[in-house]
Amino acid sequence: MKRILLVEDEKPLALLYEEELREEGYDVTVVHDSETALAKLKAQEFDLLVTDIRMPGRNGIDLITQVMGLRKTIPIIINSAYQSYKDDFMTWAADAYVVKSSSLTELKAKIKELLERER
Amino acid sequence: MIETYHFQDTDFQQESSRELTLLSIISQSYFQPFSLEDNILLILTALTSGSGVGFNRVMYFRRDGNRLRGEVWLGPRSPEEARSVWEVLSTPGIGYVEIVEHNRALLSVNEDSLTRRIRKLTFPASGDPCPLPGAAACHREIVLVKDAAHEPQVDARFLEMIGVDEFLCLPLLARDEVLGVFVLDNAFTHNPIQTRDVKLAAICGLLAANYIHTTNLYRRLVETEKMAAMGEVAMFITHQIRNPLVTIGGFTDQLLEEGCDQDKQRRNLRIIRNEVRRLEDIVYNVGHFLKVSLKEPVYSDVRTALEAAVRIGEAEARARGITFQVKMEKDPPLVFCDPATLGEVARNLIDNALEATPAGGKVTLHAHRGRDSRSFMLSVHDTGQGISEAHKEKLFQPFFTTKEQGMGLGLSFIKRVMDTCGGQVEVRSREAQGAHFLLSFPSREERSPS
Repeated sequence: MKRILLVEDEKPLALLYEEELREEGYDVTVVHDSETALAKLKAQEFDLLVTDIRMPGRNGIDLITQVMGLRKTIPIIINSAYQSYKDDFMTWAADAYVVKSSSLTELKAKIKELLERER
Repeated sequence: MIETYHFQDTDFQQESSRELTLLSIISQSYFQPFSLEDNILLILTALTSGSGVGFNRVMYFRRDGNRLRGEVWLGPRSPEEARSVWEVLSTPGIGYVEIVEHNRALLSVNEDSLTRRIRKLTFPASGDPCPLPGAAACHREIVLVKDAAHEPQVDARFLEMIGVDEFLCLPLLARDEVLGVFVLDNAFTHNPIQTRDVKLAAICGLLAANYIHTTNLYRRLVETEKMAAMGEVAMFITHQIRNPLVTIGGFTDQLLEEGCDQDKQRRNLRIIRNEVRRLEDIVYNVGHFLKVSLKEPVYSDVRTALEAAVRIGEAEARARGITFQVKMEKDPPLVFCDPATLGEVARNLIDNALEATPAGGKVTLHAHRGRDSRSFMLSVHDTGQGISEAHKEKLFQPFFTTKEQGMGLGLSFIKRVMDTCGGQVEVRSREAQGAHFLLSFPSREERSPS
């Protein structure tokens, strides 16, 4: 079973992602901030990281920079409410950028695509 | 022996040179917070007042795209009016404010004659042929016209309106850009225009062009800042609204799926209801705190204004296990702020302090006279985490927040209120030592406004 680490500070939204991705057959770990995400990544192996950008404390772009520092070759999906962060230089380090939508089709498709590519 | 001189001496004697008088009048405008229109009016005044350059009348044409558009025509309409105007303006000691006031009055009288006539006029400011007065702008040179009736380069309509034989066209140049044209004449005294008059007028033209240039730059800057701020607002609201929408949409989709059990249905509906309430809060807060205009400040009874905020604060503090102490002066002065707004300001400060303070902590509200007796202080002190130096700078910006559910509008609202009533807000805090917000309102002692 593929392991996904999901970083989302909004709790109801995190619950939605968690349930929907479990339904797809993934092993989902949800955390609500960058610090906890980084600790999890150091302690465990994951196949994919999905992160929000705007969160209290360290934001998602900081997290991506830190993950790159860990030298882990984990695919990263940015899942943000903002279209505009696409222009941010560091978001290029991510493998995909998905704008949050109540239809999770695009997010699910990107996850599938990246995990298949890794195989 | 020691001689002392005053800066900005406006009381020039008749024998002092025209240059000095002129520069003295104009230089005062640099220290006055008047508008571009007022400053232009002042320069027009300097050009036409007897103690300044001494022309009888001046027209100001503003550059508008590729044309020159008539804006103001300052001067008396008749020899009688000329005499009375010059009498007023040559009063010794007359200052900037009086001159501008006088001319504003004069312009409002002239609104139906001189100025109204030239407001209909436009001339090309470039191209070929370019008749006078537009030619001064085209060729960027000062043009003195004599025997105008026999000068084919002068526009016929213009000649008919100005009705004099001799006039001076002065382009307003700043950074190689033509921003307008002054046209000067001596319609009543018929004095010939001398080289010295031209030189003095040229100084005025440079100053006017500089005013226009800097004002244009400033307006552009303000516009850019406004657009940037609007972009920030739009971006924040997008985020605030998109998250609950995605949650509502996603959980609704689950409800519509086959086999969604009753427990899950109830849970999803609860989540959806909460997110809808959150959206309502967002809409309320954005509408409330970003209100375009605040109520005009009035002298208010501070005890009445703070009553509700204090009562709510006390109840909230009890529920959270926090000590809430209120120290209010017995006989406070009247405070210059709309009472309902003042109450909201206090509520915001108290709410923030209570949220920042852990159970067992203490929040203190202190309302007392300032040191100078013309100000009243409202301060709220908490024993929470305090505010870091990095956050202090951004604290009053709209949408800056460190709270999980905050919109970041409360303190920016307080800042706007303080700006509106002419007060000040200050925050003193060191990390781990609590935060202290200090508001200073203008106040007065009289109990009755009459």
